[in-house]
This record gives sequence, C-alpha cells and structure tokens, in this order.
Amino acid sequence: MIEQIRDKARELLEGKQVSCFIGYEQGTRGKARPAFIYAPQEVERLVWDEGCAHNLTTYLHQFKNPVKRGEPPPRVGIMVKPCDARSLNVLFHEKQLDRARVYIVGLTCGGMKDDGQLLARCQRCSERVPVVYDLLVGEKPGTVGQEDYADVAEMEGMSPRERLAFWAREFERCIRCYACRQACPACYCFECVAEQLDPPWMGIAIDLPQKQFFHVMRAYHLAGRCAGCNACEEACPMEIPLSLLNRKIAKEVEALFGYKTGQDAITPPPLATFKKEEEVPL
Amino acid sequence: MAAEFEPQIVGFLCRWCSYPGADLAGTSRIHYSPSLRIIRVPCSGRADPLLVLKAFQDGADGVMVLGCHPADCHYVEGNYHARRRYALMHRLLEYMGIEKDRLLVEWVSAAEGGRFAQMTTEFTNQVKELGPRGGI
Repeated sequence: MIEQIRDKARELLEGKQVSCFIGYEQGTRGKARPAFIYAPQEVERLVWDEGCAHNLTTYLHQFKNPVKRGEPPPRVGIMVKPCDARSLNVLFHEKQLDRARVYIVGLTCGGMKDDGQLLARCQRCSERVPVVYDLLVGEKPGTVGQEDYADVAEMEGMSPRERLAFWAREFERCIRCYACRQACPACYCFECVAEQLDPPWMGIAIDLPQKQFFHVMRAYHLAGRCAGCNACEEACPMEIPLSLLNRKIAKEVEALFGYKTGQDAITPPPLATFKKEEEVPL
Repeated sequence: MAAEFEPQIVGFLCRWCSYPGADLAGTSRIHYSPSLRIIRVPCSGRADPLLVLKAFQDGADGVMVLGCHPADCHYVEGNYHARRRYALMHRLLEYMGIEKDRLLVEWVSAAEGGRFAQMTTEFTNQVKELGPRGGI
C-alpha cells in the first residue's frame, strides 16, 4: 500500500504535476506526523499506518495563493482518509479549493489507533472509502461502525442545570489557545469572530462566559460543515470533549434537514439554503 | 420581603413587521411587560444567532427573536434563513444548559399589536418562573 502511495507521489513530483505532496511521515517520538514532500527523492519518508490520525486538508489552505503574482496557485497532492475526504468536499463546495488543483490519494481506512486502541470516532465511523479521490489505495475493510450518538443522548437525558454544570466544568479548563480552530479544515476565516474587535463579540479574558461563547460560536459556525474528523478535539491540550458538541449539531442537522456533511461538493449546507414550504419546528 | 425577580429580556425585532407590531401595541395603549428591551434589527435574518448568544453571555434571562411571518419578509427570504438558524440554535442552547423556554422565536406581523403584547407578557412570566439564569 505504502509503495503505491510513494510511487504515485514520486510520479506526480517528477512530472511537476504537483509542487508539494502532503502525507505522513514517522515523527521523532514514534508517532506519525504530517509531512510536506517537495522533491521526488524524499518520497521514501512517507508512511501510512494506524497512527495517521491528522486531517491533512487543513494544510491545503496554505496552498490557496499563488507563489508568484499572476501565476495560478500551486497544485498539491494529498493523502486523505474517508473523514478527511468529507472536509475536502466542504472546501470544494465553498470554493476554497479548485478540485483540479488537488490530486487526491484516497486511502481506505479501517480506523486509526492510539496505543493499540481504536479511536472512539473510528469505532463510530461507517465510511471506510473516501467519497472523493483520484487514486484509491487499499482494499475496502470489511467491518464498519455505526454512529448511534449514545454519548450525545446521555447528555440530552440530563437536566438543563446538570448540562450547564457539565459544560462549565469542561470549558473552565479551556486556555483559549484556539488549537481547535487552527486544526479545523473548515475554520478558515481570515478574521475570526474570536479576534474581531469591532464589534467586540467576545472579550479577551480567561473568563468562563467568554470561553463558552467561543466554543458555542465555533461549533455553531461549523453547523452542517463539520465533517466529523475530530481534529479539534485531538488538538485540544486540555482534553475538552468537543466532539460531544459537534456531534450534537450533526445529529440535529441530520434530523431537521436530512443533511450529512461532505457527501458531495454540490449540495449546499443546510444553513446556507432553505425551502419555503418546509416545516421547521422552532 | 424579597423583591420579586424581574427578568431582563432582550428582544430582536424585525424592522418591517414585529417592530411596527410593538409600535401598534404602544399606540393602542395595550399594556405589555416592561422587562423587555427591544433592539430593532433590519430583518430577523439579521439577528445573527451569535447576537442571542451574546445577549445570554451578557446576562439576559430571556431572548425573543421576532420576525415577519414566512412569505412576508420584506427581503423575500430573510425569515426563512432565520427559521433554519434558530431551529438549530434553539437545540444547541438547550444542549448547553440554557432552558428551551428562555428563547422565543416567533412571527409577528405589523397588525398584531395585541398578539405581541400577549406574547411578551406570557414569555416574561415563563422566564420569571424559570428564575435568574446562571452561566451562559
């Protein structure tokens, strides 16, 4: 499998079809980390294993602008898992990326592991083949998970006061490093509400209401756009369960509007469109 | 005797239907709850759900978002967008621990002064029953 990826990366780089190939390499502490390959002889660095949990599509934003004025932006090759492919579709739909400027090496995925344990999101994942790719690598794994929102339902069973206390406890830990935002492929605004000073949406203090505001705002801005790659939660140094928040919205979006994020690059996300005759329970 | 809890309610009222509706309630001398602080917005579609969140962050006990009835929007489609946004925001706020009854999203036309007054009073009582809000 990895040889096939390396061969393709080499071919693309040698043929100058892409200026950079984004993949994974072995990190210094034994875990995979993102790698940016610019020269064909460096493709040997590429790896593909069960530790390749990062969503690399976040880095595509760095290749949106031309290197030299007047030139088209550079073409990029990238390795994507099924979850990352969904976020690619979000970016294509939002015209953040031109489909023709990305060469997608799709990877069939049996789930990512940490310390031999399948990640929670991978246990729930029912997609094993990317929804968009130029080259598909690997065989389709037999087993698939099922998203049942068990933990979200558990939260919904609490009383509002209990939920308030739960989130206060979680967000109390937030240090406002904004790693969740930076890791997210769908969070690409040049000026984020979190930093807007006019109007000052949010204060800059380490203060619970402000932190809560930030997190609700972040989750809400991703409503119907979150591909569920869980990069935010994995980037969080304080281990705040952001997936509980994101998946609640995903669940409601699916229930209210029958929409699943990133299945194609054509259907607009639910909050960008409406139907006149629909019944929306307020 | 402890003073009765008087909730602070922020209302985002659409400039074309609900605000004139509130105006009509006033000119008709219909009494409605004084707890409501009205903010006039161009359209219910302009009342960004973040404004509601901001109101809650700054200590509001309840928030009302009132707009034109569906199909009556001055800007043709603003309230359809608002409808979708608030359907989701409502559920999200509830999930975050803000009781469902603290947010009211309704459609009020410029002719519905009486309905506006009644709605406002009912909503105020509803929020009064819930008591002051702690946290976001």
